[in-house]
Amino acid sequence: MSLENKYNLKSPGVKRLMREARELAEPTEEYFAHPLEDNLFEWHFTVRGPPSTEFEGGFYHGRILLPSQYPMQPPNIILLTPNGRFEVNKKICLSISGHHPESWQPSWSIRTALLALIAFMPTPAAGTIGSLDYTPEERQILAKKSINWECQICGKIAETLSSQSKSSNITQEEASLIQQIALKAEEDANRKEKSADKKEDSDETNVRQRVTINTPSAETINEPITDVIMETEVSINPSTVDQVFNVVVWVIVFVIVLLIGRRFFLLE
Amino acid sequence: MGDESKNSSEEPSQVNQDELILAQQRQIEKEISESIPLVGEMEPISSLNSEYANDEVYLEKIKDLSSKYKHIRRTRPDGNCFFRAYSYAGLERLLDKKDEFNAFYKQAEESKDALVQLGFQQFTVEDFYDIYMEVLKRVGDLTDVDDAKKTLHFLFNEQGYSDYMVVYLRLLTSGQLQKDQDFYSCFIEGDRTVADFCHQEVEPMYKESDHIHIIAACAALNMGVRVVYMDRGNNKSVTEHDFPEGCTPLVHLLYRPGHYDILYP
Ligand SMILES: [Zn+2]
Repeated sequence: MSLENKYNLKSPGVKRLMREARELAEPTEEYFAHPLEDNLFEWHFTVRGPPSTEFEGGFYHGRILLPSQYPMQPPNIILLTPNGRFEVNKKICLSISGHHPESWQPSWSIRTALLALIAFMPTPAAGTIGSLDYTPEERQILAKKSINWECQICGKIAETLSSQSKSSNITQEEASLIQQIALKAEEDANRKEKSADKKEDSDETNVRQRVTINTPSAETINEPITDVIMETEVSINPSTVDQVFNVVVWVIVFVIVLLIGRRFFLLE
Repeated sequence: MGDESKNSSEEPSQVNQDELILAQQRQIEKEISESIPLVGEMEPISSLNSEYANDEVYLEKIKDLSSKYKHIRRTRPDGNCFFRAYSYAGLERLLDKKDEFNAFYKQAEESKDALVQLGFQQFTVEDFYDIYMEVLKRVGDLTDVDDAKKTLHFLFNEQGYSDYMVVYLRLLTSGQLQKDQDFYSCFIEGDRTVADFCHQEVEPMYKESDHIHIIAACAALNMGVRVVYMDRGNNKSVTEHDFPEGCTPLVHLLYRPGHYDILYP
């Protein structure tokens, strides 16, 4: 392998990526990732659209950019296949991606990032950076189209995943971790939409979201968003009143100026 | 495809503002990082005076500190300073006591399996464990104590090795907290579980250490530490606290709000 001559094998980051490349060498049913032939710090990946969602049947390909301080700094994920959930060619905002490096843990890996991505796809976009809010129908159409999508480097990607039902052995611990990762970004997104002085609500939101995750039916998943919309409405109300007040004041000022002006005019 | 109107971010200015502040913060942190070595050279306690010219409260306390300690070794203030200072100072002392070093080495060798059992991903834990053991082995194999200390200093200033030491120590601390969660849960504020706390405050790099981190780290490594507190408080002397209480501390650290350095008697 040409990579082994190119990099300083003594560097812990390089050792780590070599280890991950070995670990991920075999495609699973859900994901496959490999470093580019000439660059250990850029990988390409394919994930299968999660079953029983609007992404079912889709194959999504993308790039993983590893920072030079990996694994101390998180990887960046860029999707290349149009999918209706994330913008393509843009670093996307999972709470474990580069936009939130403070929540990344060095003991996570590229595999963790991919599992989190899969788990995160069906969650609401909620205004996070790089998120798209396409309808389920539009996403289903894109999922069908994705089967014929080709990467300039890897070629046709629908065939890269293992077709046998070889599970990726997600441990229970890992599953709960992945859900927590996905949740984090949702929380962050919610917090950004609220006004800054709503801190006391965040604990409550926390609990609500944890409850939501336990019963993942379509209805309950929508609940946090409705809450957010209500929050924004509440915080918008006072500012609308302000605006009306401002307009009234300006109208009065304008009328007074007009009257004075007319008076001068009449005097002359 | 790129239909811009579909982008659901409703408050772009707010988001950009946050991003901007974060980016700025990171830039400042980076600049600090680059100017201070991960673990510095030994300096006399009096070198602290220049940081507090005209500050009577601190100057008084430095005088008190210098009656107890002769030297200080500064560490990089990047949020990892407790873990870095504690492990560096611990190993440095152990190199003087071959028997204790060997016992420490043996205990470290056995530490990985417990972490895997707690549910940490085996191959990433192994990644950090391997480097951790490599550092212990490289310094332990040198018969000349001065050579060993020089190697320790060199490795702790190689970002790759140094950060890996910190990560593994963070994992051991997290493991200790989760193993004894009945005991530690009462120290955690709010409704977070011990596991939540570990994922958010212990395992990520650059997260600062509190009492609870120190207690758990000392239990995990079975190595006591005395922390000497120096702040703006009214008393004229510095205050000390041993972890665990009543131990004969191997390591001495100076705490100033937000930061730990190493002290030498
Ligand atoms: Zn590709």
